[in-house]
Amino acid sequence: MSSLNLAALNSSTTSASEINVIIDSFIAKLKRRQIQGSYAIALETLQLLKRFISAARWSHVNELISQIRHLANRLEKAQPTAFSCGNVIRRILAILRDEIEEDNNESSASNDPQNATSSSSSTAEPLISSMFNLLQKPEQNLNNSQTKKYKTKTDFRQVAIQGIKDLIDEITNIDEGIQQIAIDLIHDHEILLTPTPDSKTVLKFLIAARERGNRTFTVLVTEGFPTNTSNAHQFAKTLAQHDIETIIIPDSAVFALMSRVGKVIIGARAVFINGGSISSTAGVSSVCECANEFKTPVFAVAGLYKLSPLYPFDQEKFVEFGGSQQILPKTSHNNGTMRLDTINPITDYIPPENINIYITNIGGFNPSFIYRIAWDNYKQVDVQLE
Amino acid sequence: MAGKKNKSNHKNASALNGRKSDVDVDDRLQAIILTDSYETKFMPLTATKPRCLLPLANVPLIEYTLEFLAKSGVDEVYLICSSHASQIDEYIANSKWNLPWSPFKVSTVMSPEARSVGDVMRDLDNRGTITGDFVLISGDVVTNVDFSKMFEFHKKMRSKDKDHISTMCLSRANQFHRTRSLEPACFVLDKDTSRCIYYEDLPTVGSNKKSCLDIDPELLENVDDFVLRNDLIDCRIDICTPHVPPIFQENFDYQTLRSDFVKGVISSDLLGKHIYAYITDEYAVRVESWQTYDTISQDFIGRWCYPLVLDSNMQEDQTYSYDSRHIYKEKDVVLAQSCKIGRNTAIGSGTKIGEATVIENCIIGRNCQIGENIKLSNSFIWDNSVINNNCTIEHSIIATGSEIGQNVTINDGCIIGFDVIIDSDMNIPKGTKISSTPVKYISGGLFDSNLSEDDESDYSDKIEDTEAIKATGLVGYNGVGFVYESDVSDDEDDMSETLKLSNTLAYQMEELCLSDESISSRTKRVKKKRTMSTNSMYTDFEGNDSEEEEEDFEKEGFATIERAIENNHDLDTAMLELNTLRMSMDVTYHEVRTVTVLAILQRVYHFIATQTLGAKEAVQKVFGQWGLLFKRQTFDTEEYIDLMNILLDKVVDQHFEKPDLVLFGALNSLYDNDVLEEDVIYKWWDEVSDDPRYEEAKRLTARWIEWLKTADEESSSEDEDDD
Repeated sequence: MSSLNLAALNSSTTSASEINVIIDSFIAKLKRRQIQGSYAIALETLQLLKRFISAARWSHVNELISQIRHLANRLEKAQPTAFSCGNVIRRILAILRDEIEEDNNESSASNDPQNATSSSSSTAEPLISSMFNLLQKPEQNLNNSQTKKYKTKTDFRQVAIQGIKDLIDEITNIDEGIQQIAIDLIHDHEILLTPTPDSKTVLKFLIAARERGNRTFTVLVTEGFPTNTSNAHQFAKTLAQHDIETIIIPDSAVFALMSRVGKVIIGARAVFINGGSISSTAGVSSVCECANEFKTPVFAVAGLYKLSPLYPFDQEKFVEFGGSQQILPKTSHNNGTMRLDTINPITDYIPPENINIYITNIGGFNPSFIYRIAWDNYKQVDVQLE
Repeated sequence: MAGKKNKSNHKNASALNGRKSDVDVDDRLQAIILTDSYETKFMPLTATKPRCLLPLANVPLIEYTLEFLAKSGVDEVYLICSSHASQIDEYIANSKWNLPWSPFKVSTVMSPEARSVGDVMRDLDNRGTITGDFVLISGDVVTNVDFSKMFEFHKKMRSKDKDHISTMCLSRANQFHRTRSLEPACFVLDKDTSRCIYYEDLPTVGSNKKSCLDIDPELLENVDDFVLRNDLIDCRIDICTPHVPPIFQENFDYQTLRSDFVKGVISSDLLGKHIYAYITDEYAVRVESWQTYDTISQDFIGRWCYPLVLDSNMQEDQTYSYDSRHIYKEKDVVLAQSCKIGRNTAIGSGTKIGEATVIENCIIGRNCQIGENIKLSNSFIWDNSVINNNCTIEHSIIATGSEIGQNVTINDGCIIGFDVIIDSDMNIPKGTKISSTPVKYISGGLFDSNLSEDDESDYSDKIEDTEAIKATGLVGYNGVGFVYESDVSDDEDDMSETLKLSNTLAYQMEELCLSDESISSRTKRVKKKRTMSTNSMYTDFEGNDSEEEEEDFEKEGFATIERAIENNHDLDTAMLELNTLRMSMDVTYHEVRTVTVLAILQRVYHFIATQTLGAKEAVQKVFGQWGLLFKRQTFDTEEYIDLMNILLDKVVDQHFEKPDLVLFGALNSLYDNDVLEEDVIYKWWDEVSDDPRYEEAKRLTARWIEWLKTADEESSSEDEDDD
């Protein structure tokens, strides 16, 4: 009993050392891939960030920002292909930076004689000033913090935690926004093709079109060999249960059937600033290439939190590779002298020119417009976290 | 989630801090890691470093086991350290597993006197560490098995079958798989419940024995369908209930986990305990020999163990990134412009690779200096090695800190030990093992602890006195290195070339392993070797004996008893024949006893060597039936003592693998059949117990006699009470 009490006591008072324990066990879980899917990763990251911010100590808000950036950098390194983790932290950073800017504006407006000099410079070029603060050396920060301490009235801890709460709400309600659009996009007696059977968003999108819009349509589901085959079967089963006509086709039949397909609907794991995206199934790229050939529209369905401010310079680094045992049974004779390699990419990069429209929870956008939405939500300074 | 985990951690921590409440104890999952294999397969490298700290794909082997346990949700881990215990202890103390956010509490248990798994289990039972179900795992497992499924299976079977004490994890493989255990075994399983009905080690190509299974029909009672399988890789992950250590305690002759414990438990009616097998298709193997080391490294690089892959950077300071065709590079690798990095390669940070060097299928550690125009293929270069220009290295291991001069050719299957220096222009022949300090195989001891210390202390003298040992022919005049002769090549000059190579990396063996009949193992080979030495012993014996008559009697009498055993004559007939022979040749009963003991032991040996019976069963069977012969050859106390002396002598001479077990079994069975009296045994024991010659053989017997004495005392004290 005493130990239970102790545990309860510990969880209520989060000390600095304990937050380190939590962070490190979270990093270990990311490395072991014990958390699966960008949705779960985004939510868990936000929970972690909430505890981190409530436990953090800082004398100036810039210290908090650099602490968060350090954390984000460590998390990104732990699993470089889990983009949603870095995305949500960058969103919170952007919220904080907006608040600082506003705060600076306010304090200059209040015309405090003591801080007139420092605040006037920041009001002149607010964006640059925040960057200067960022690059300041720690000792300068300390000096400034003395003067700025009583200047800042805003409770940044409150702002950040409120921001996290809002973001969690947004992520958990993402399907609502997307489903609204679904009804307008799918027509009666249309044939749809989806090559990403593991996407919950696509599934809900299709079911919403069937149930709310009462549309009758046919869905072709590619098999997604080898990683997603069981997912594909489950996906097709769920669709069929919702009274949607569903056909499972092998991955190789896509080109033959494309001429009859009205729309291709794909789920995205991450959307980059150039409008390209990473999908969670290998082979989606060739499906989209194929659709492009037949001028079939490709719709990519993604929540806003999947939007990443990164640019895919090295696409190979963003693609994840899975286990070989899924391709060949492990029992096969794999002699060192034999020149047999098995390579199993489990994600795929789709270039922006093969996607026609992104359907997000805040509306539909052209791939070439994605960068605008990204800069609405992220700050340029936070793209590189190192 | 993270918070929850942390909470449970604290709970455990506080429970361990002395306030042990029973509520906590019950639901903790414990794991016992056997860091020592009690084998010498990785000699000469294991002379300076324990097997579990040897790097596999630049990560110490123990990390793979710990990683598996971390994923499994184990709460407490105990590492049993025997050889090089301090090194393991130090490693764990400085590792991430000892930090506050480690998923489990890790502690090292020193067990320096343990010489087998059985000893470890008895030690654990004495310490009382085990509180609930626990995972027994060896410290060299590489696996991605989903432990939760296995644990579920264990719990399901436990709720169905109250006698269930242990679940083994077996991984399916086809006959061509290279990681198939080199200790082939046959499992007989109940088809419905996958309860293990029978277990048997299979003979190997080296032994030239027919594989036959001798299943007691009683075992098959109540079994509808059963399957015989030899396609299973035994990866030594067991979930055991707390009943297991006491079983080892009761049966103090149990040494190995499988051939003694599993076989003993399931074929024993008295215990009535059951062992189940969990069969999985996931990747689960043990690094138990050089060949498996090679295969598992390649499999790991080839992502067969996903999600356990190199680029998930399990170690805190690792920075591997993945390129297609299975190339893994850490940060700060310097590659010359014209070097070629081929498929399945991993390169650690700080390594420099020179111009025109070609690398394929290699794992290269950190801070290695690889020169220009070098060909490296299928090799393992450990940290801080230096390889100079124009070398060719094929399918070898270059251990930490070694230096290879220019124009050196290292052929298939070589093992270059720690800090070995090889001079320029050398050619190292196939399958050579070189170490920087002289390491000798100590025959009889399957155990390599303290070996390094002994050698270290002798080293300074040796290097002056016996300069000849230094393998100048191989390492050159400026080189440092000694050839390690394994026990096999030491003792057996006529051993075929393939068998000599069988414990090396070399490729021949892998070809040999392709067929079902030809999977070889070292332990089995040892037995074969002993057949030969037995034969030679007989020749010696005959040659030494000067008296012609006696020599003749030796032959004739031996043949008589052998015939009797083989054709299953009854005792009277056998005794009659023997008596006739004795009288006609005019020899004493002493000779008759000697011959009888020899023939019976030969029979026992035959059983063990052909794998038809285990050592214990064989002794019991043969002595149970034919031990009665002694009743008619021995008549007074003196003669009984003489008989036991002969037995002790011959058992030691015969070179059994476990002389103590055979002697104990023989004496026990003679005692059970009332051939030997307690008083006689004590008298004999008083005479021989101080004799240092037979120390090894007497170990178990000593315990038996102790037991006899206490049993005696108890019964006598009871008698007194009755009075």
